Amino acid sequence: MKLFRTAFGATLLVACLGQPASAATQNVIFNGTITPTCTLVIATNGTMTVSPDLQTLSSHNSGGSAGTVTLTTTGGVSLSVDPVTATTVPSADTTSTTWTPTYSSAGAHSIVETGSATAISTPGADLVSVHLAGTKGGSNRFANGNYQATVTLRCE
Amino acid sequence: MTPFRTLATALAVGLIPAAAAAQSMSPMRGEVNSFTDVFAVRVFPANPYDQKIKIEIHVYDQDFQPVDARISPAAFQLGAQASRPVLVVVPFGGAAERKVRICTESIPFPNQQTQIRAQICGKFFGHRKS
Repeated sequence: MKLFRTAFGATLLVACLGQPASAATQNVIFNGTITPTCTLVIATNGTMTVSPDLQTLSSHNSGGSAGTVTLTTTGGVSLSVDPVTATTVPSADTTSTTWTPTYSSAGAHSIVETGSATAISTPGADLVSVHLAGTKGGSNRFANGNYQATVTLRCE
Repeated sequence: MTPFRTLATALAVGLIPAAAAAQSMSPMRGEVNSFTDVFAVRVFPANPYDQKIKIEIHVYDQDFQPVDARISPAAFQLGAQASRPVLVVVPFGGAAERKVRICTESIPFPNQQTQIRAQICGKFFGHRKS
């Protein structure tokens, strides 16, 4: 009987050798969707200086500086500036001024200075420079005093 | 809030992003189905700065004309690196569908010669179901 049990056990063990373990496996699926996203962080505001002929007040002039904004995006957005509507001028300035906002970008996206909307299709981070220029025509000149204007930089 | 508006708000829940930290506003795209004369969108403006800023929410149509939407809250202070939900309820105005822009605006550094206003606008499309 003992011999029979030993032989039976050994036979069963041999029969089980080489058989794959029947463990079940399942895949766990992860999904993620990122919609177009944009972050604008204003680093510095701009400074305008007047030209020698007193007909241009601009961040491009000597001593002036652009405003800088960091842009971080997933892509699928567009960048633009609005026409300037809110300005403060000294009381001595009674003539009209044409304000022209522009921007350029360096970094993941190179945008040559423009005033038009730019589509950004790829992700990345950029440093956007925002410029503003005010010009007067004819014999009009900028006056002594404080000027202030607001440029709206939009990402949508 | 009426049951219908509650339903419209519930439909907007599908627009809630998975994470809104350090974004100026999310989501920036969305479509909403509504069975009422309004549709609702919940957006999450965020303050990516290390200082408190004032944020205003505005709603515009496709031509950037203001839309008479109900915004709760329309203006508020937001702490550094913080985000909060804002509920925007937009009327269809008799139309079957309406496209609007919901914009987050902030002016963190006042009293400079050339101020820059950062504006993040999302585009949202409301469909009125009958």
